[in-house]
Amino acid sequence: MRMRFGSVGPAGLGLLAATGVVGLVLAGHGWAHRAGGALGSLGGRAAAANVAPPATRGPAVGPAAAPSAHAGSPGARAPGPLLASQPFAPYAFAIWPGTPSVAAKAALTGLSVNVHRLTSGLSVTAAVNGQQSGPAHFYLHGVRVYVLEAAMGDDSGSSDYNLGDDGLVVTDAQGRIIS
Amino acid sequence: MSTPRPAAAARAPRAVARSGWLTAATEIAAAWAPTAGRVLLGLVLAWFGYHELVQPALWTGYVPGFNATSTAAVILVLAHGWALLVLAVALIAGIWVRGTAAVVALLLAQIVIWLTIKAGLSDLTLRDVGVLGLSLCMTGTAEQRFVLAS
Repeated sequence: MRMRFGSVGPAGLGLLAATGVVGLVLAGHGWAHRAGGALGSLGGRAAAANVAPPATRGPAVGPAAAPSAHAGSPGARAPGPLLASQPFAPYAFAIWPGTPSVAAKAALTGLSVNVHRLTSGLSVTAAVNGQQSGPAHFYLHGVRVYVLEAAMGDDSGSSDYNLGDDGLVVTDAQGRIIS
Repeated sequence: MSTPRPAAAARAPRAVARSGWLTAATEIAAAWAPTAGRVLLGLVLAWFGYHELVQPALWTGYVPGFNATSTAAVILVLAHGWALLVLAVALIAGIWVRGTAAVVALLLAQIVIWLTIKAGLSDLTLRDVGVLGLSLCMTGTAEQRFVLAS
């Protein structure tokens, strides 16, 4: 088949058709797994609350108006798996305690995460820049707070173009995920 | 008429050799650079297309005018990823190269325009401008090597 910009022969058409079929199969896989990204994302739903950290998009956390308590507070659920054992561990950057590293600051691009020390523990709020902050979550002292960012390449300036690979994780002192 | 100085005479063969090496390198680059550009552009598209297909949730934030968590955004990302994958294979295999590159240029122009409107010119946007330039260059490249024969 001769076209103005080049030619497409039977082999080419066959290759494109095969590629199209492969693309459809991959799309089916993507559709089946559309609920969760690689991480417990700020933009999506958590795939499995007991394995992956739950989604914590700031303003979309839920209708709960009252602050929620975690991490060893009475009635809090048992800690989950070790953060280090999770596939997203390489993308977790510590922001508390201590001063966030350069990489952690880069991972925070587009996000507003505030950790405040209270007499009874810590208060953590998370939000997407330019949006209303979500409700504060309270934890006992000793927890560690991490920001997740799978790909720094989607950050530019103060904007994060893709929040699907961002998340927030809180662990206890032993590194077990509690939120 | 002056006789050549001995030092200049000694340099002459080296200059000729260097000229020959440069000429050969230039000819090789002229012959294969369009192919390298085409294949590398195809690899970029394939990478993005594959990841959009297998993890659409990571890309819905880029869909203009749709909520990132909406089903429509996921469908659009999957369609975009499928198109990128087919275009990538067409480029890498050398199928209808100039036409394929023109379609790629349109897709990239849409991305650049949207990102610019949304957040202004940034390093991220400028990176896409560079890829857009490569695709535009491919639309004008008639001679290609390493293409599917039929």
